[in-house]
Amino acid sequence: MNNLVVAPIVIPLITGAVLIFSPRRLSFQRWVSVASCLIGLVVNIALMHRVWNQGIQPFYAGNLPAPFGITFVADLMSAAFVTVTSVTALAVLFFSIYSLDEQVEQSYYYAAFQFLLVGVNGSFLTGDIFNLFVFFEVMLLASYLLISLGGRRLQMQETLKYALINNVASSFFLLAVAGLYRTYGTLNMADLAQRISASDSNGWLSAIGIVFLVVFGVKAAMVPLHFWLPQPYFAGPTAIVAFFGGILTKVGVYTILRTFTLIFVEETAWTHGRVLLPLALLTMVVGIIGAIAQTDFKKVLAFHIVSQIGYMLMGIAFLTPLALAGTIIFVAHQMIVKSGLFLCAGAAERISGTTDLKEMSGLMTTHGGLAALFFLAALALVGVPPLSGFFGKLTLIRAGLEAQRFFSVALAITVGLGTLFSMIKIFRLSFWGEVRGERRLSRESVEYKRMMLPVGALVVLAVAMGLGAEHVLTYAQAAAEQILDRRAYVAAVLPGIGLDLGF
Amino acid sequence: MFLNLHLVVLFPFLLAVLTLVFGRRLGRHLGWALVPFPLACALYLLSLVPRVASGESFSATWNWVPSLGLSFSLHLDGFSLLFALLISGIGALVTLFSIHYLDPDEDFGRFYLYILLFMGAMFGVVLSDNLLALYMFWEITSISSFLLIGFWHEEADSRAGALKSMLVTMAGGLSLLAGIVLMGIAGGSFSIRELADKGALVQGHPYYTAIVVLVLLGAFTKSAQAPFHLWLPGAMAAPTPVSAYLHSATMVKAGIFLTAKMAMILGGTGLWFGLVAGVGMVTMLLGSYLAVQQRDLKGLLAFSTVSQLGFMMAMFGYGTPEAQSAGVFHLLNHALFKGSLFLLVGIIDHQTGTREIDKLSGLRRAMPFTFAMMALSALSMAGVPLLNGFVSKEMILAALLEPPFGHNLFTVALPLLGVAGSVFTTFYSLILAHRLFFGPVTETTPEKPREGSWGLLFSPALLTLLVVVLGIAPGLVEHGIVGSAVSALRGEPVAVHLALWHGFNLPLLMSLSAILLGLILYLWQEPVLAGLRRVSSVRWNVNALYDGLLQFLEVGSDRVTRRMMTGYLRDYLVLILGFTALITGYALARSGIFGFDWRRLALTEISWTEFAVIVAMVVGAITAVVARQRIAVALGVATSGFMVAVLWVLWHAPDLALTQTIVETVSVVPLFLVFAYLPRLRQQPFRPKVEGINVFVSVLLGAVVTGFLLLSYGHQLFPSIGQFFVDNSLPLGGGRNVVNVILVDFRALDTMGEITVLTLVGLAVAALVRSRREPADIDEKKEMSGVMINPLILPAFSRLLFYLILIYTIYIFFRGHHNPGGGFIAGVMAASALIIWALAYERPAAMALVPVEPRRLMGSGLLLVASLGLGAVLFGYPFLTQGFTEIELPWFGRVELATALLFDLGVWLVVIGSIKGIVMELSDGRPIAHETGASHGREESGRS
Repeated sequence: MNNLVVAPIVIPLITGAVLIFSPRRLSFQRWVSVASCLIGLVVNIALMHRVWNQGIQPFYAGNLPAPFGITFVADLMSAAFVTVTSVTALAVLFFSIYSLDEQVEQSYYYAAFQFLLVGVNGSFLTGDIFNLFVFFEVMLLASYLLISLGGRRLQMQETLKYALINNVASSFFLLAVAGLYRTYGTLNMADLAQRISASDSNGWLSAIGIVFLVVFGVKAAMVPLHFWLPQPYFAGPTAIVAFFGGILTKVGVYTILRTFTLIFVEETAWTHGRVLLPLALLTMVVGIIGAIAQTDFKKVLAFHIVSQIGYMLMGIAFLTPLALAGTIIFVAHQMIVKSGLFLCAGAAERISGTTDLKEMSGLMTTHGGLAALFFLAALALVGVPPLSGFFGKLTLIRAGLEAQRFFSVALAITVGLGTLFSMIKIFRLSFWGEVRGERRLSRESVEYKRMMLPVGALVVLAVAMGLGAEHVLTYAQAAAEQILDRRAYVAAVLPGIGLDLGF
Repeated sequence: MFLNLHLVVLFPFLLAVLTLVFGRRLGRHLGWALVPFPLACALYLLSLVPRVASGESFSATWNWVPSLGLSFSLHLDGFSLLFALLISGIGALVTLFSIHYLDPDEDFGRFYLYILLFMGAMFGVVLSDNLLALYMFWEITSISSFLLIGFWHEEADSRAGALKSMLVTMAGGLSLLAGIVLMGIAGGSFSIRELADKGALVQGHPYYTAIVVLVLLGAFTKSAQAPFHLWLPGAMAAPTPVSAYLHSATMVKAGIFLTAKMAMILGGTGLWFGLVAGVGMVTMLLGSYLAVQQRDLKGLLAFSTVSQLGFMMAMFGYGTPEAQSAGVFHLLNHALFKGSLFLLVGIIDHQTGTREIDKLSGLRRAMPFTFAMMALSALSMAGVPLLNGFVSKEMILAALLEPPFGHNLFTVALPLLGVAGSVFTTFYSLILAHRLFFGPVTETTPEKPREGSWGLLFSPALLTLLVVVLGIAPGLVEHGIVGSAVSALRGEPVAVHLALWHGFNLPLLMSLSAILLGLILYLWQEPVLAGLRRVSSVRWNVNALYDGLLQFLEVGSDRVTRRMMTGYLRDYLVLILGFTALITGYALARSGIFGFDWRRLALTEISWTEFAVIVAMVVGAITAVVARQRIAVALGVATSGFMVAVLWVLWHAPDLALTQTIVETVSVVPLFLVFAYLPRLRQQPFRPKVEGINVFVSVLLGAVVTGFLLLSYGHQLFPSIGQFFVDNSLPLGGGRNVVNVILVDFRALDTMGEITVLTLVGLAVAALVRSRREPADIDEKKEMSGVMINPLILPAFSRLLFYLILIYTIYIFFRGHHNPGGGFIAGVMAASALIIWALAYERPAAMALVPVEPRRLMGSGLLLVASLGLGAVLFGYPFLTQGFTEIELPWFGRVELATALLFDLGVWLVVIGSIKGIVMELSDGRPIAHETGASHGREESGRS
């Protein structure tokens, strides 16, 4: 009886349903959303705390025991991810209030945002593959709505591609689910794990895993499945793109992280070493090449998402406790920093009326605070110590070197240099230089100051994650060990069932 | 000690934060407020000299990230002390100098903020015992250097120089990090002192070569060793005090510092000697050779610094006690004379407005003090006796003659490189000491030359004083500074002897001949320089390489990205589907699809009816692909859909069949409504290549999916848990209709998710259509023009039909728990009744039948479902626990009361709300606004 586990889903669901009733009462919409997110944050922290103290928390929806009902499972990793998600959500909400057009806000923006949180949190917490499909759909539908708000032609055009490609992925999801269910007769993840460890599929499981990798790879923007990502992120309202950039692709990474440590582990040398690792490296390189080529604030950031996904996938491919810890840190760090950077882009757009780097130069002279926050966030992304990105990077490098993956590490380091180059490009072109282009908001305006508040909060968090790295690392290592301990997962979710079927 | 050392490192950062807050208010007076800090540090460190000299060292540790081996542990020994003294001492002088140097309206807050960041980081580099902490501070020095070079960021030169320095030093930094981690793996520690004890372990490790190369790459980039010297001249775009402080006295020596320290762990091998000494001496010659050709004074000093850094670097490659002494002493001397030279050039620039050598001459009279100091410092650099440069240079030349592993061609060449380099050193020193100040008084400077203020002169004066004092009495620093530094590097007390006169020996001869040859070249400078410049103007040098690389990176990546991100959905889908097909196909092949026993599939059991239905399904799908009109496409898709429903019937799945049929029916309506808004399908010319790829990928994917499904079918390893639902739907769910019980009870959470999806669809259509709708000035009569169906027959029937369907809907809803039916089907049916009404009559009339706004319907449905879930929580059960009971009612008999029914009601509300919303929004007949002038987009969507 662990209703706390499902609270991160129920709270935004109810909030969203309530918000549908009065889309035009803006202050009601805004503050109910913020309040709900705050409550969500508190609840998520409580959940994290409970998992830390009491171990994996299963929840059996409808009081039906696993594997028959829908099971939710909060472990250290998923609890951490929902918590970081709610922090990011709060920052993005604040930013939305001060940066969006009222017409967009009135078009069910806040309700859809809450439903998006339902989808994201549900994906993090579910212990059931089919239920994951459902939450993916919730997440996707909400994202279609949010990213097309405003309805400019470019936006509609790109949303269409985004939606179609993701729908194709959804049908592959169903295909893969069918294969899994036919073979193992269950879709409960813990049940799957124990049935898989009690049998040998002769490579067939890996084939199913590859289809899942494609499905989750589309969500995570793994190359060559990433084509849907950059353009809609460029076209959509920046506030919501900030949330997408920080969170949505990480849900894809999370699902790979979960399923490729719990379920598709029969032939890790092939699935992880021969398939996932090359794709991870490709993702890194293609992403950074894209980022270097861009001269638009949001586009540079969008391509960086792809590149950084490569790092996370690399960590999963290494599959050592340290590498997984590094990946978990990296995911959490990216959620915060990437959202923060997109919010910087949003602020710059609001100030200068453009996202073209060359059209807004001299922002540091006119808006020093934004410049400082952006610079810190950029360095955090690059992985300069003592900011958050460094510890994820260092952990991954160390894990890679310990696993003697020299080529991967060398490539990761080189790509890091590319990240530096492209972040500095933004700084050089739009923050340095003579003041050019218009300035719609002055440094003294209330709007600017309020926009800086969420950006500042995220940057402070990135700094804090670095200075308090020991705590972060301890947690991440515990989380990594937890996800590698499949027996404990099964025992927690299926008490009394899983233990006699030899591991 | 613990507190003091950490304070030295952390206080600058604290001051930096204060500067951020108060800096703007203080303006140029900020400098005065800050000077006491580095001064106090310098005095404090000086007070430690006697104790350090007596062999004491100080350590302080803060644990930071023990899991990764990162601790904030500091260690002060003789070598670190020398550096710390330079950082604080020159830091104080530069802070002071800048107050007078920068224009009063400059942004002093930002300037000192960066300087403080640098100061703290540099202290961190030289005091850290933990290599990971050292790396952290190392990177922060690169970043503060970047910010300082770009201080005048309006200038393109500053931006380019800053970028170059950042890229080169950070690339080296990353290499260093990799080296450090490898060293940690090899030696099992990140503490320099612990690793120094395990030198043999590291040197015997297979990673040793990699570690040396990676670490040295870090050191060489930082200390601008060839071929990485390219960033230092670009860094001269920084304000001159910054150049004096970072780019000659301290930061660029961090690479030397690291090499010297790492020699304790990695040194003493042929590899180390060859790399460090070789690169150092080549850099020494190259730097001085390039320095003489510079026309810009700061450029000259930059290359001269490169050259001198190479000199020092080589000494720590030799690693003999003599070489280390020479290196340490020269390090100190160079900081003094080069710091002074930079500041003096700054004064000339400040007072005349130019740094171009060709424009400056005869400044002797106008700037006598500057002249005197410049002459002394420059001659010291040239190695003229009685100045400090002479002593250390003599020592270096002597050390070069005594290689650690005996003589060979390589070790003979190195001193020759040193002499050749020294010739050029004399040459450019004379340019500084003589050419600027003698000859005709210049008239080409932007401002009339006059002597700098005392505020400007004070800092270089102090440095020049030390140049002279140490030149005459090097013994002053013999034991306390140089001796303890060398002892620290060797890990044992070493007696260092610094003397002015060593007698007539080979080093002296080398020294004197270098001065003499340099003097001769200087006297013949016109033809010599012309010749040199002709040689240097070759197209291929490292700068061209850097520019080319950058260009290649930007152009190349742009090309690659454009090629990949074509913007066409078709391309994306072809790539994504093709990739999926290939990788899945490969996975299937290796999992044994070809060895699979196909007889297990028992395909013969397919009946003729099933076969016929499937053929119809395929025909529908093909029709949808090849059709040239939208209606035909829709009909093709619908055919496939209905055939699926038929299959469900054949397979005895009435619920699914019912749902499929009704959904197919209702979804046709919004589809046709949308068609009313779409332009005619554009006829594409037949493109064999494109179509060929499409067909190929489709067929491949189809084959792979088929194979996957067949293999799935044949791979049943476990029985399905499905039997549980069949057995328990009545006892646990209280219903005989298993499908319904699964939907509203066993997996109610999935259903909750799905109705959220439906809600979102309804909201999305409303939000999108409204955002593009033109203002409501359209004639209401035009409504429904897109979808007028036979106006005579339909109304007559539809009224009857409407009520029939509605009554049947109620029946379907209530029977759902035990028989095929349920909230979803009932909801879609009710919505279809509404649609029929709307088609027959006017839309408003139909909509008025359900007087509640769609969003309220959907919201209530969701809230109902959620509150049911919460109700269970109130009763102490898990979320969404359902309950049921049967009661006896008069007339009705036994009636079942189940929360599942309420859940179904919620589903019903959402479904009807969502469909009503979609149809209402799409059918109001008002045109959708089009953005003008964007025909490109339509073309693109047509192609995709």
